[in-house]
Amino acid sequence: MKDDVCIRNLEKDFDGFKAVNNLSLRVKHGEIYGLLGPNGAGKTTAIRILCGLLRPSSGEAYVLGTKVPDPGVVQNIGYMPQELALYRNLTVHENLAFYGEVFGLSKQQIETREQALLKLVDLETSRNLLIDELSGGMQHRISLACTLLHQPQVLFLDEPTVGVDPDLRASFWRYFEELRDAGITMLITTHYMDEARHCDRIGFMRGGRLIAEGSARELLELTHTDSLEDAFLVYSRTEELQ
Amino acid sequence: MKASRAFAVTKRVLRDLKNDRRQLALIFIAPLLVISIFGVAFTGSVKDVRVVVVNGDTAVGNSSLSDKIISNFDTSVLNVAYANSESDAVGQVQNGSASAAIVFPSHFTQSVVARASGQTSVAPANTTITLLADKSNPNVSDPIIAAVNTAVAQTIQGLGRQAPVSVDSSNAVYGANAQFIDFFAPGIICIAVWQLTTLLTLISFVGERTSGTLFRLLASPLKESELVAGYAVAFGIIGIAQSAVLLSAAVILFHVTIVGDVLLAFGVIALLAIVSEGLGIMLSSFARREAQAIQFLPIVVLPAFLLSGVFWPIQAIPEWLRPVSYILPTTYAVEAVRSVILRGWGLDKIYPDVVALLIFASVFLALATLLLRRRE
Repeated sequence: MKDDVCIRNLEKDFDGFKAVNNLSLRVKHGEIYGLLGPNGAGKTTAIRILCGLLRPSSGEAYVLGTKVPDPGVVQNIGYMPQELALYRNLTVHENLAFYGEVFGLSKQQIETREQALLKLVDLETSRNLLIDELSGGMQHRISLACTLLHQPQVLFLDEPTVGVDPDLRASFWRYFEELRDAGITMLITTHYMDEARHCDRIGFMRGGRLIAEGSARELLELTHTDSLEDAFLVYSRTEELQ
Repeated sequence: MKASRAFAVTKRVLRDLKNDRRQLALIFIAPLLVISIFGVAFTGSVKDVRVVVVNGDTAVGNSSLSDKIISNFDTSVLNVAYANSESDAVGQVQNGSASAAIVFPSHFTQSVVARASGQTSVAPANTTITLLADKSNPNVSDPIIAAVNTAVAQTIQGLGRQAPVSVDSSNAVYGANAQFIDFFAPGIICIAVWQLTTLLTLISFVGERTSGTLFRLLASPLKESELVAGYAVAFGIIGIAQSAVLLSAAVILFHVTIVGDVLLAFGVIALLAIVSEGLGIMLSSFARREAQAIQFLPIVVLPAFLLSGVFWPIQAIPEWLRPVSYILPTTYAVEAVRSVILRGWGLDKIYPDVVALLIFASVFLALATLLLRRRE
C-alpha cells in the first residue's frame, strides 16, 4: 500500500531549539496515524511542516508523493489547527461557504456538502447561528466540518479533541473511523493517551524525536503494560537512560 | 492571483463587519463623534468677553471720539464695563473678573483732532488707547485686540477719513467663504479613515493569527496576495462608506463647502484606506495579542494627526521635522482631498499626491504579502 505521508530525517530548528529532531515516519493510504506525546514534543511543528506552514531546517516531507511545501498539494489536504480556526462573527453557513469558496467549490457544491457535513456532525439546525452562539463542543464540530468540506484525501488534525467533553470525543473518533473507512488518510496529534487506541498505528514523540512506533497492541505487548500511558512512560524512561 | 478567492475574502470581511455591531459602531459612530466634537469646538467664536473701559477723555457730549469708538465695539464679542481708574481696571483683570482693561487718555479727542490737523506738538501718548489684556490665553486676547482695532477703523471711516493705504481681500481665488472647519474637515476625514482602517486590519489580522484561521487559510489554495487583495478591496469599500458618512455630517451639521468632485475625493480616501490596510497587516506581524496591537495606535495616529497638515499647513512645521510629514501617507491624502473639496481641483492637478499614495499602497501591500509569506 502506498504512503500518503512520508517524512525523512526531518528537523526543525527555532533559534537553536530543536522542535523536531531527526523525525522519520510514514502514513499509509487510508490509515489513522496517531502522533502522541506531551506538550512541546514537536507534534504541531511536524504537522505545520506537512501543511506547508513551516519550512523544515533539514530533511524532507512528502504528502501524496509531493515534496512540501508545494501549493499544488494543498487542495487535497485538510488541516484542522489546534485553535478552532473559525470566524466568530460569521454564521455556521457563512464560515463553511467562505472556506468552500477559498477551495474553489461552486455554490451548489457548497450547499450539498454543507448539508451532508452538518448531518454528520449533528448540527443541521445550527446553520444560521453565529459561531459565538454555539457551545464549545459545537464549535469543534463545525471546525471539523470546515476541514472536511473540500473532501481532502489527507487530513492533518492537530489536537482535535482538546477541550472536548468525553461524549463528543467519542463522536469525533467515530467520525474519524468513518472517514478512514471511506479511504481518507489521517495524521492526528493528541496528548490523550487513551484515545490513541482508535488509531491504526501510533508514534510516540518526545523532545522532537520519534521514540517508538507501532499499533497500540504492539506497543503494549513490547512494554508489558496495560495502558498506552504506561507504555509511553517506559519508552520515555528508556530514551532518558540512553 | 485568482480574483474569485480574493473576492471571497472581501465578502468574508464585509460579512464579519455586518454581523458585529460593535465594530460597525466603531467604524461609523466614532468618527462622527470626532468630527462633531472638532466641528463644535473649532467653529465657535469668542463671545461676551468682559472688558473694563477707563475713559479719561475729557471731550464733551457727542463730539467725544472715545465714546464713538466704544459705541462701535462689537457687543457680541465685548461685554463692556467701566472703571474710574486704570489701577481699578487692571485689578479686575488681575483677579480674573475681566479679560482686558481699555484705557483712553485724557484729552484723547482733542489730541487726535489736533494731530489730524497737522499739529506735531501732540504727544503720542495722548492719542494712544492702551489695551492691557490677559494674554495668557491668546484665543481670548486676540479677538479683543481685533475688536478694538476694528472699532477704531470703523470710527475713523465714519468720520469720513480714509487711511492712505488699503487692502482689499474681499475676493478669493479659492475658498471665498471658507471657515476653519472647511480647512480641517477633509483632514479629519482622512485621519479617521487612516486610524480606523489601520486599527481594524491590525486587530483583524492578530485575530486571524490567534484564532488559527490564518493557519487554515495558508494551508489552503488561497495565496497570500489574494488574502491581502481581498482585505484591500473590503477596506477600500469601508473607507468610501466612512468618508461618505463623515462628509455628509460635515455638510449637514457644519455647512462645509464642497466645490469639487466628491467621487474623486472618495477615490483618494479609498486609496488611503488601502495604504492603511497594508500598514495594519504589516504591524500585525509584530503583535501576538490584541492588547499588543493596541500599543501601536499612538505611533500610527499621533504623527499623522499632528504632522499631516490637518490643522496647520506643512509650512508651519519646523523644517527639520518636515521630512517626517513627507513620509506620512496622510500628508498626501489630506492635501489631495482638501484640494478637491475646497479648491475644486481635478485629477490633473492632484495627480502627484495620488501617485505618492499609489507608491505607498504598492510598497505596503507588497511588504504585507511578504511578511505573510514568510515561512520560518
